[in-house]
Amino acid sequence: MPQLEFLIKCGVYGLMGLGIIAAVGAVLLPNLFHAGLALAFVLVTIAGIFMSVGAEFLGMVQILLYVGGVMTLIIYTIMLTGRLGAKDVRAQNRQGIFAAIAAGFFVCWIGPLILKTGAWPQRESDSAPPLLSVEDLGMSLMTEYVFPFEVLGVLLFAVLIGAIVIARQDRPS
Amino acid sequence: MIIPLEHVLLFSLILFAIGMVGVLTRRNAIGILISIELLLNAVNVNLVCFSRVSEDPMAGQMFAFFVIALAAAAAAVGLAIVVAIYRTRNTVQTDEIQLLKW
Amino acid sequence: MTTVESLSHFAPEIVLLVGAVGVLFSDLVFRDKRLIGYSALGVIVVSLILIKALSVSEPLSLFGDFFLLDKLTQLFRVAALAIVGIAILLSLVYSPLSKLYMGEYYALLLFSAFGLILMSAATNLLMIFLAIEFVSLISYVLVGFLKADKFSKEASLKYLLFGSVCSAFMLYGMSLLYGLTGTLKVTEMSTALASAQQPSLVLTALVMIFAGLGFKISMAPFHMWAPDVYEGAPTPVTAFLTVGPKALGFVVLIRVLSGAFTPFFDNWTPLILVLSMITMTVGNVIALSQTNIKRLIAYSSIAQAGYILMGIATFTDLGIQAVLVYAVVYAFTNLGLFVVVVATSEKVGSDEIKDYAGLARRSPLLAGSMLVFFLSLAGIPPLAGFIGKYLVFAAVIKEGYYVLAVVAALNSVVAAAYYFKVIKTVYLQPPRDEDALPCPWPLRIALGITLAGTILLGVMPNDLIEFVQSILPLS
Repeated sequence: MPQLEFLIKCGVYGLMGLGIIAAVGAVLLPNLFHAGLALAFVLVTIAGIFMSVGAEFLGMVQILLYVGGVMTLIIYTIMLTGRLGAKDVRAQNRQGIFAAIAAGFFVCWIGPLILKTGAWPQRESDSAPPLLSVEDLGMSLMTEYVFPFEVLGVLLFAVLIGAIVIARQDRPS
Repeated sequence: MIIPLEHVLLFSLILFAIGMVGVLTRRNAIGILISIELLLNAVNVNLVCFSRVSEDPMAGQMFAFFVIALAAAAAAVGLAIVVAIYRTRNTVQTDEIQLLKW
Repeated sequence: MTTVESLSHFAPEIVLLVGAVGVLFSDLVFRDKRLIGYSALGVIVVSLILIKALSVSEPLSLFGDFFLLDKLTQLFRVAALAIVGIAILLSLVYSPLSKLYMGEYYALLLFSAFGLILMSAATNLLMIFLAIEFVSLISYVLVGFLKADKFSKEASLKYLLFGSVCSAFMLYGMSLLYGLTGTLKVTEMSTALASAQQPSLVLTALVMIFAGLGFKISMAPFHMWAPDVYEGAPTPVTAFLTVGPKALGFVVLIRVLSGAFTPFFDNWTPLILVLSMITMTVGNVIALSQTNIKRLIAYSSIAQAGYILMGIATFTDLGIQAVLVYAVVYAFTNLGLFVVVVATSEKVGSDEIKDYAGLARRSPLLAGSMLVFFLSLAGIPPLAGFIGKYLVFAAVIKEGYYVLAVVAALNSVVAAAYYFKVIKTVYLQPPRDEDALPCPWPLRIALGITLAGTILLGVMPNDLIEFVQSILPLS
């Protein structure tokens, strides 16, 4: 169905455009609370892009972990550290021009290289590439990737301990 | 894929560049952490898209999954440190705490 | 090898992890908080004994291909445990640490030893990233462990922000590599990369990976975090940071370069060559004006990373051997210096170099050890530092990189200048007060190990060199 495909195409490009606009907002908005919300919007658009390229599992993880977890953390910290949107606090330092030049240089350096690379190692058969189902991913997390998965568990445990020690308020003894 | 791979790669490149601007210009530590999340998300877009054309599609998605998990861990540590600094100094502006002389 | 079969070879690490959790909970039981430190030491010793008992001659791929147990891993898992062991010995004496969190502190040190071991054994981009982040995230926390100290927190935040940005760049490079080769296994990449249509994209990916690894080894221009972090962190953690992540960063660098990037040898050696010269010059020149001993050692350790990079720049067999020998030798020497720093700061209460005046009269043992370690760093025979420098220079001159050799030689002269400035303060200036400096037994043990390493490896380097020779070629 060519019409449907065209619509999906439009949708994906639209997501990308919205994502970039929101990303600019996340970086430049003077009020950090607004910047955090803009970041949440970027994260949702990226989840949409994941879903559109057939990575449903990652799309869901993105929304659950990132939008649900990390964003809550960020917003919470913004509230905790106060001075929300105070007018006298400048959000940017004076390196704006320098930063823009650096970023522009970066895009002009890698962008053409990406466009010129015609042949990324494609799979041989043009027949529909196998979509990885959630079941496939779960199975391989428990078999092939079980070692990094367990290491990740240890890491999260250690980091949790560390974060609690750092953030905890000592009782005056 | 529905749209050409190159277009998605350019999107992630631009996202990464925007994140770079944020890292270099934000004065607030939380602002910098937000920008770092942008950088990591750009990487994830790359990984997921490459996994669609790669010989080993599982590897790319797994990598992206681990990046998300570690980004959450890094954010937890980072925000814990920010809260601790705010408690002692009453500020999280990076140049007020004499940081980042780059 | 399947997961279950692998577990028997993984026993030292399992002991380490179980021990870490045990140490964490022992905080609830022990009234005397020093016992927690002793049990952490016990865990390290048991783990070392198990490594000795389980050593294998053939390289083994454990857990699929996520943990490569070859001779390089064997050498550096012993090194990682030894480094953390000495950091624990230092922590036993170091008083500014809050008694409230001793269980967490030692548990995190043991976890970071596990992370270092993972770094030495990683040959898969996913594992490399996971291991580096493992060590980094725990380091950020350990740097900020002085709860009352503002500078410790600032150092921690700076370390975290700089480190996260560097690893984001490294990740971007890794994602490009994955796109270009379709695999995450470093050893399988070189064929796909050699036939890549866009060599410049491969090199871009490589440069971005240098950003992440350069951060770990404090290579210029990714070294800016190092002096502030090393100064602000608790001294035992500084001792750990200047040697652990740095030495293991070099191991990862060697694995990545030899596995994936040998086809591009001609492209990246000039880059490393230049970065090596910049790194050592920046480190040495800024070190000249330092007045704080921790900052001085920080800049000196940046310069040492520059010397080690010389071996990477040649990337001949001799060059890689030089890197590995230098990394081991440097670990002993630098840890030894920190033993002296901890002992002095416990009594004197500051890390300023001027407070080291007359140390020779107050404690001949500490002053003498300091002299040995500085002479070793300066590369004076017959100490271990000389062997490292000799091998690095030999590798560089053999390949005809005379400019690099001359720059490194000049740098050694500059380095000698500030080393001797400290030694002069220690030996020639009169002390402010004559009280003897005590050296408690944990520090005596640490001093014994590091002194023995620094002197014995200098006098009889053959065993180490032969072992390192047997590591190559890397599979």
